[in-house]
Amino acid sequence: MRISKLSGSTAIAVAILAATLSTAARAVDDDAAKKLAQQNNCLKCHSVDKDKDGPAFKKVAQKYKGKADAESRLMTHIMSGEKAKFPDGHEEEHKIVKTSPAKDMAQIKNLVQWVLAQ
Amino acid sequence: MDNSKPGRLKRIWAILKTPSAKYSLLALLSVGFVSGILFWGAFNTGMEATNTMEFCTGCHEMRDTVYQEYKETIHYSNRTGVRAVCSDCHVPKDWTHKLIRKTKASMEIWGKLTGSIDTKEKFEAKRMELAGHEWERMKARDSIECRNCHSFDAMSPELQKQTPYKKHMKAKADGKSCIDCHKGIAHQLPKEYVEPDE
Repeated sequence: MRISKLSGSTAIAVAILAATLSTAARAVDDDAAKKLAQQNNCLKCHSVDKDKDGPAFKKVAQKYKGKADAESRLMTHIMSGEKAKFPDGHEEEHKIVKTSPAKDMAQIKNLVQWVLAQ
Repeated sequence: MDNSKPGRLKRIWAILKTPSAKYSLLALLSVGFVSGILFWGAFNTGMEATNTMEFCTGCHEMRDTVYQEYKETIHYSNRTGVRAVCSDCHVPKDWTHKLIRKTKASMEIWGKLTGSIDTKEKFEAKRMELAGHEWERMKARDSIECRNCHSFDAMSPELQKQTPYKKHMKAKADGKSCIDCHKGIAHQLPKEYVEPDE
C-alpha cells in the first residue's frame, strides 16, 4: 500500500518534471537567437518581416508551418552550405552558420526555432 | 653687490650654450649621430614591442575577452595560414599615425589602473562604447587597416560569390568603407548593436 502510494507520488513528480523540461526545451531563447543571427550576418540578406536577398523570416515560418520536418530541413539548410535561390534566379551556396563553441547544435536549433516562431 | 648664484637650470643651460673647447666638432657630431641612431632604434623597437599579440594579450582584460573571440575567427586561423594580429587591425602602419594612436592608447594605462574593465561584466557593460570608438576611428581613416590587405579592385568576380561581389561593387560605387558593413568580424558584437536595415 505504502509502496504504491510512493509510486503514485513519484509518477506525478516525474510527470511534472517531464512537462517542465519539455516546456523548457521548447522555449526559444530570443536574445541568443538574435545575437547569433546578427553575429553571422544573417540580417544582411534576411529580415524578420521584409524580403531582402533572402526571404523574410516570417515568410519562412509561414512556408514551414505545420510541417513535421521543418526544423531539420532548416538546420540542414544553414549547416550544409546547400544552394539557395536568389530573387534574380541565380543559385549560391548558403552561408554556414558558425557558433561559439563550434558546431553547437543547441544554438543552431534555437536559431531555427526562433525563425520558425516568427 | 649681488651675491646670489644663478639657479641649477640656468647653470646647466649656460654649460650647454658654451662651445666645447675640449672636443672637436667631428667628435661631437659623431657622438650625436651614434646616440641618435641608438635612441631612434630603441624608441622604435620599444614601440614595435607594444604591437605584438603577446603584449596585447598580456593583460587579462584583453586575454579573457576579445582575444578568445578573435581566436575563433578567420583572421586568426584560416586555410592559407595568413594571420592578422591585433595591431594589424587596430594600429596604423605609417609612423606618424602609429605614434598618435600609441599616444592615445596610453590612456588605457589609466583604465588599467582604475580597473574600468577588469571583470567580464564591466567589459560587457562598456563593450558598445569601446567598439564605437574603434568603429569611429576606422571609419575616419576609410578602414585603412582593412585596406592594407583587402581591396575592392583585387576582388575576383569569378572567385567571390555573386552576392557579396555585387554588394562590394555597390559599396565601392557608393564610396562606402569596409567598417560600414563589416562590424564584429573578429569580436562579438555588443548586445546593444542593431544591424541597420539596408
